[in-house]
Amino acid sequence: MEKSDKKKILIIEDEKEMLLGLSTLLKHNGYSTVAAYDGTFGINLAHKENPDLIILDLGLPAGGGIFVLKSLSNSVSTNGIPILILTAQQEPDLEERLKQMGAAGYFHKPFDPPALLGCIKNILKDA
Amino acid sequence: MDKKDKNSQINLRLVFQELKENPYKKFNIAFSLMVVIPFLVFTYLLAGRFFSFDILIGNIGLILLISFFISVCGFYVGYKILKNILNKIIFYAAQAKRSDQIKSTFVATVSHELKNPLSSVKINLYNIYSGFIGEINKDQKHIIESCQNTIERINRLINDLLDLHKIEAGAVDVKRKLCDIIKISEKQIIELDAALNNKDIVLAKEFQGEVLSVWGDEDKLSRVVNNLLSNAIKFTPDKGKIIFRLYKDEKFIKMEYVDMGPGIPSDKINRLFNKFERLDSEKEGTGLGLAITKDIVEMHRGKIWVESSLGNGSRFIVTLPSDLRVITR
Repeated sequence: MEKSDKKKILIIEDEKEMLLGLSTLLKHNGYSTVAAYDGTFGINLAHKENPDLIILDLGLPAGGGIFVLKSLSNSVSTNGIPILILTAQQEPDLEERLKQMGAAGYFHKPFDPPALLGCIKNILKDA
Repeated sequence: MDKKDKNSQINLRLVFQELKENPYKKFNIAFSLMVVIPFLVFTYLLAGRFFSFDILIGNIGLILLISFFISVCGFYVGYKILKNILNKIIFYAAQAKRSDQIKSTFVATVSHELKNPLSSVKINLYNIYSGFIGEINKDQKHIIESCQNTIERINRLINDLLDLHKIEAGAVDVKRKLCDIIKISEKQIIELDAALNNKDIVLAKEFQGEVLSVWGDEDKLSRVVNNLLSNAIKFTPDKGKIIFRLYKDEKFIKMEYVDMGPGIPSDKINRLFNKFERLDSEKEGTGLGLAITKDIVEMHRGKIWVESSLGNGSRFIVTLPSDLRVITR
C-alpha cells in the first residue's frame, strides 16, 4: 500500500505502554500513526500533521484531556478532524458532555481492541 | 495550628457551608429565650411581691445574693455543657462528610489508576495473541487467553467495588419509572443465553401474565435479574435445570430463582450477602454480586433471602413492592 493511501491517526496518550499497544494495533491494521505524550505537543502535532482521526486520552494530567478536546474543536484548522476519546472515568452523562464538546465517540478503558478498530473504521468511512 | 486543628477548621467550614448559616447563633438565641426570660419574669414577680430595700440588709439579703450567684453559675455551666454537645455533633457530622468526600476522591482516583494499566496490558496482550509481534504457538495462546480472563475479572471487581461504594454512599442516581419486570427478565435471559447453552442448562420460565409492573430503576433491576440468574447458572451442574418464577403476591412482585446446585451450608447462609463472601473460591466471581443485589433490592424497599440446604439446591427469593405508594412513603 502507498504511504499516502494510509489513513493517519494521531494518538495523544501519556501512558507509554498504552501508546505502544495502540500504535502496534493500528499499524498492523493498515493505519499510519503519530504520537504525542502530552496535550500541548498533541495540539501542535494536530495542526502540523493534519491527521484523519485523533485518539485522545481524557485522563491526561491536570485536566489536559478536556482542554485538548475543547482546543481542537474550537480551532478552525482542526475542528473537522474526528476525535475518539479513551477514558477510565465512569461519570453519569459523560457521553452527552463529550458529544457537546465535539467528540466523535468514546471508549471506556479497558476497551475491546476489535471494537475500537470497528469504530475507527466507521468514523473514517463517514468522514 | 497543628494538623488536627487545621482539619477541624476545614471540617467545620464544610458543615457551615452545608447549613448555610451559623448554628451557634440560633443556639445562643434559643438558650437565652429558654432561660433568661423565665428567670427575669420570676424575679420580677418575686421582687414585686416581696421586695423592699430592707431585705437586702442582713442574712436574707446575703442568701438571696448567694442564690442569685449560684443560679447564674448554674446557667452558665448548663450553657457550656449544651454548647459542647452541639460542638461534638457538628464536629462528627463534619468529619463524616469530609470522610465521604475523601473516600469518593480516593475511589475515583484508584479506579482511574487501576484501569489505565489494565487497559495497556489488555491491548498489548491482544497484539501478541493476534500475531502482530510474531507467530505464537498453541500453548502460548492458551496462556494469553488465561491472562485475558484474569484482566476481565479484575475489571469486573473494580466496577463492582465502584458500584458498591456508590450505593453505600447514597450517591447512586436512581431513575424510577414504571417497569415491566417480565420484559426486563426476558432481555437478561437473552443476554445469558450463551452461558446457558455452554452448560446445556434448561431454563424453565414460570411467568404470571404478560406484564408485571414495578416502580423502579430499570437498569438496576436488570442488574438484579442478571446477577441472580448468573449465580444460578454458575452453581447448576451441566445439563441441569433452573426454574425462574415471576408472579404477583398481593401488593408485591415476587421473583424466585431455583437451582439444582450443591446447596448452601446453613452456617454460610447468613453471610451470603456480605461483601467478598464466596461459597466456592474455585468459581469465578468477585464476591460482591449478591451484596450489590441486596443493596439494589433494599433501595427499592424490597427484600431478598435464600432458602437452601446442602445437596438440595437453592431458592433465591426477591420481593418488590408493586404499589407506588409504598416506595414514595
